Amino acid sequence: MRLATVLLLLAGAARATTFYVTVAGLGGEPDYEQRFSGWAGEIEAILKSAGGDAKIETFKGAAATRANVRAALERIAHEAKPDDALAVMLIGHGSFDGVDYKINLPGPDLSATDLAALLDRVPAARQLVVDMTSASGGAMTSLRKENRVVITATKSGTERNATVFARFWVEALRDPAADTDKNETISALEAFHYAEQKVAQYFESQKRLATEHPMLEDTGKGEGVRDPSAANREGLRAAAFPLVRLGAAASAIANNPEKKKLLANKDQLEQQIDLLKYNKAALAPDEYKKKLTALLLELAKTQQELDQ
Amino acid sequence: MRAFGLWASVCFLASALLAQSPQKRAASELDQAEALWKAHDYQGANAVFRELVKAHPNNPDYKVRWGRLYLDHFQPNDAAQLFFEALAIKKDHPGALLGLALVAADKFDGKAIELADHALVVDPKLVEAHVLLARLALEDADFIRAGEEADKALEISANNLDAMAIHASIDWLGDKADTPWIGRILAQNSHYGHAYELAGHFFVINRRYEEGIAHYRKAIAIQPDLWTAHSQLGINLMRLGYEEEARSELELCWRNGYQDDPTKNTLTLLDSYKNFVTYRTDTTILKLGKKEADLLRPYFEPEMKRALATYEKKYGIKLDRPVQLEVYPNHEDFAVRTQGMPGLGALGVTFGYVVAMDSPSGRRPGDFHWASTMWHELSHVYVLSATHHRVPRWFTEGMAVYEETAISPDWGDRLDPHVIQAIKEKKLLPVAELDRGFVHPTYPTQVVISYFQAGRVCGFIAREWGYAKLLAMMHDFATNATTPQVIEKELTMRPEEFDKKFLAAIDTETKTIVDGFDEWKKGLKEVAALARAGDNEQVIKRSDALRDVYPDYVEAGNMYEFRSDAFLALNNKPAAIDELERYARIGGRNPETLKKLASLLVEAGRPADAAVALNRLNYIDPVDEDLHRRLGDLWFAQNNIDAAIREYQAVLAWKPVDPAASHFNLAKAYRSANRTDDARDQLVLALETAPGYRPAQKMLLELSQADQGK
Repeated sequence: MRLATVLLLLAGAARATTFYVTVAGLGGEPDYEQRFSGWAGEIEAILKSAGGDAKIETFKGAAATRANVRAALERIAHEAKPDDALAVMLIGHGSFDGVDYKINLPGPDLSATDLAALLDRVPAARQLVVDMTSASGGAMTSLRKENRVVITATKSGTERNATVFARFWVEALRDPAADTDKNETISALEAFHYAEQKVAQYFESQKRLATEHPMLEDTGKGEGVRDPSAANREGLRAAAFPLVRLGAAASAIANNPEKKKLLANKDQLEQQIDLLKYNKAALAPDEYKKKLTALLLELAKTQQELDQ
Repeated sequence: MRAFGLWASVCFLASALLAQSPQKRAASELDQAEALWKAHDYQGANAVFRELVKAHPNNPDYKVRWGRLYLDHFQPNDAAQLFFEALAIKKDHPGALLGLALVAADKFDGKAIELADHALVVDPKLVEAHVLLARLALEDADFIRAGEEADKALEISANNLDAMAIHASIDWLGDKADTPWIGRILAQNSHYGHAYELAGHFFVINRRYEEGIAHYRKAIAIQPDLWTAHSQLGINLMRLGYEEEARSELELCWRNGYQDDPTKNTLTLLDSYKNFVTYRTDTTILKLGKKEADLLRPYFEPEMKRALATYEKKYGIKLDRPVQLEVYPNHEDFAVRTQGMPGLGALGVTFGYVVAMDSPSGRRPGDFHWASTMWHELSHVYVLSATHHRVPRWFTEGMAVYEETAISPDWGDRLDPHVIQAIKEKKLLPVAELDRGFVHPTYPTQVVISYFQAGRVCGFIAREWGYAKLLAMMHDFATNATTPQVIEKELTMRPEEFDKKFLAAIDTETKTIVDGFDEWKKGLKEVAALARAGDNEQVIKRSDALRDVYPDYVEAGNMYEFRSDAFLALNNKPAAIDELERYARIGGRNPETLKKLASLLVEAGRPADAAVALNRLNYIDPVDEDLHRRLGDLWFAQNNIDAAIREYQAVLAWKPVDPAASHFNLAKAYRSANRTDDARDQLVLALETAPGYRPAQKMLLELSQADQGK
């Protein structure tokens, strides 16, 4: 069921534009400065190489000022249409005074309240904010909104240590392993799962207490969760937000009238598989496996025909 | 921490004592406190002592007795504080010095001897100090001095039961079961269980656990409320794997108010055993944490079997029962398992046929080589078994250290800077006294240095006299022979002469590094600075000769990595690879560095060498998904299908980031191994996660078509 929704959205997304704004804030020290700029640069390179209808703006070093970020988002607010999508990614150090969150930028800092106001003016219906700074959990309340996916590197504004989340977020965008459902697109949800797991493993392997706990919120009213799933009703919009496309096959097929019947059959089979998985607990293991194998074989044959 | 607080009892006592003179009142209060203490009413005794000390703040004797109460109540730090306060009032107070010696002795701190000696200088008739010195000597396996000190105690106090218990212990440890001393003790006090308990302690520290347990049982039989013995019995039963009875003993202690940290920690640990899973074969019992059992078993079980088979052949001994290996994901659990307390520095410990060790997941990646530790501990199983646990610590540790590098030169510990410093400062101990370095170290790094020395002593004997001589020595120790006796018999020289030859050999072996150590340290700092400045040519030039002054240095900031990075920056990949291969050969263990080497080897078209480089990490940090995926791919490409299957299974055992691809990789390997059904199962699992995964779909169709064609 969910997969069908994703495919529909992907088909729509093929005709829409995604605006990407990446900001690398002040490092404070040469080491951090280099790291933050490096990650922002990598994100830009990955997005550019992925192609598609994307408009990419990256602010780092001296250019990462509040005025420049504000100007970029105002431009997007004029240009974007409701079908379009917007992804804002923030890297750097953040602070939280108990009331508002700010990302440290050269010159005046940008607060979560300011950012939320700028985003509210953008008509793009699908929005994603990935705040990877320290204390970014403090931005959640200001940024969350219906139709907006908010990801933060920390669970609250009090987790103030420099974060490693950005490192693994970048890794997620370039590692095909992050595409766990193998639909050739890394969604915001997949990238979040990947980075969250890597952050946990990082602290575990270093035998250090974790100083950051990434959160995702996409219902517009929650506090965010570490493990978005159907059970906590978080992650649905993030799953439908394509970040990086690894292949253009799905959209190409969707535009080919000759294969529409096959595509419909494929969608139906996928829905049947989803339904079967949903009822797994109610079936005997052998029966489940038999039914699943039959459906998977049928799906594989359909896919083979689609690919011919 | 001092607030046991029993205000009611204090009020009662205060009203009864008000009418007396201050001196009489103090004496009565002291008597009262001692009586409450003797009756195990620690809280009542504490309250009286507190009032007593408050009323007489300048009396060091009261503080000392109060300190002894704390010591008896498992609060050594509070006790030590009071002893120090007593010494501040009266410098050289013998009771306070003795108290501090007892605190140090309980921590196996070498300062205990010095403190007890000091107490005896001030008060030569301090019987308890002689008994303590006897105990410390016996812990160092110095039977002669132990006997002498016990005799001194008996000269002062002919009926001292603890001094007699030392003599009884000496006899029992020497296999004289019919010691006259126990008769003398029991004639005076037929319920003096401490005599057997003390012997139990000595058996345990000599790794003679079964006999230790037997003596704790005897102690309890004549003194059923001796909770210290019940607790030790429980802890040692657990060490040998008798968990049910261990729990019963420890719970008995707990219910009766004996709740010291080792009792409490061990009970907690026993509760955690539900989180472990046990695998049995005819020769092995492997106990692993549930969460990591699927990942570790394919590595631990075969390695354990390989070690047992090797040692069986090497030592010429067949064990009469399976060996149990317990692998603890949480280091503090391992520490509790080992000594009842957290904070242990060791990586593995052997209790007869039971070995406990850290899991690689319990340490930072690269911190330890689990296979080396396993081989070390399993060597103990054989040596302890062959000698019926009658072996000096230096010999069994020396054999174990020797075996680590005998199986593979890059295993085992490298020559570390502390050891170099110790050689330089002539701190190595005579072989006849080497046990002291393990049991009562007198400086922080002495245990590490003693391990090194013991290993080198065994290596020296193997080299000069042949490995068979080590086995002959092992069998001599089984007869309770001492180190000097065994050295004289097997090496036909006195221990002093052996020391001379050994130290000369060590000096020759380590001359370059010992002489050049200061220059090397200075040079390393310069190389690090050059690397920071990006002066790669100078990094190579400056480190060229220095690297081989101290080749064993493979820790953070080593010459190999500086040089490799510099060569890479200068685009000289073959030289960079060469440096990292040297690093790996010498025993470098940083997982990231070894992975870097593997990547460079793949780029250089040497996939077989890359697989070897990565496979080393399976013995260091197998808790690494990336490692198993990469190694699986390399083995698969080289048609080493069984090894590839193991690696791909390991990926799946550790919640992979990409489950679909991981199942698919395993399916590919199964298919190559003609395990079609297993391959199909893995494909279904891959596609269950990602129904649209094209490569898995393609293979599933191929398998299906092949089935239809049959």
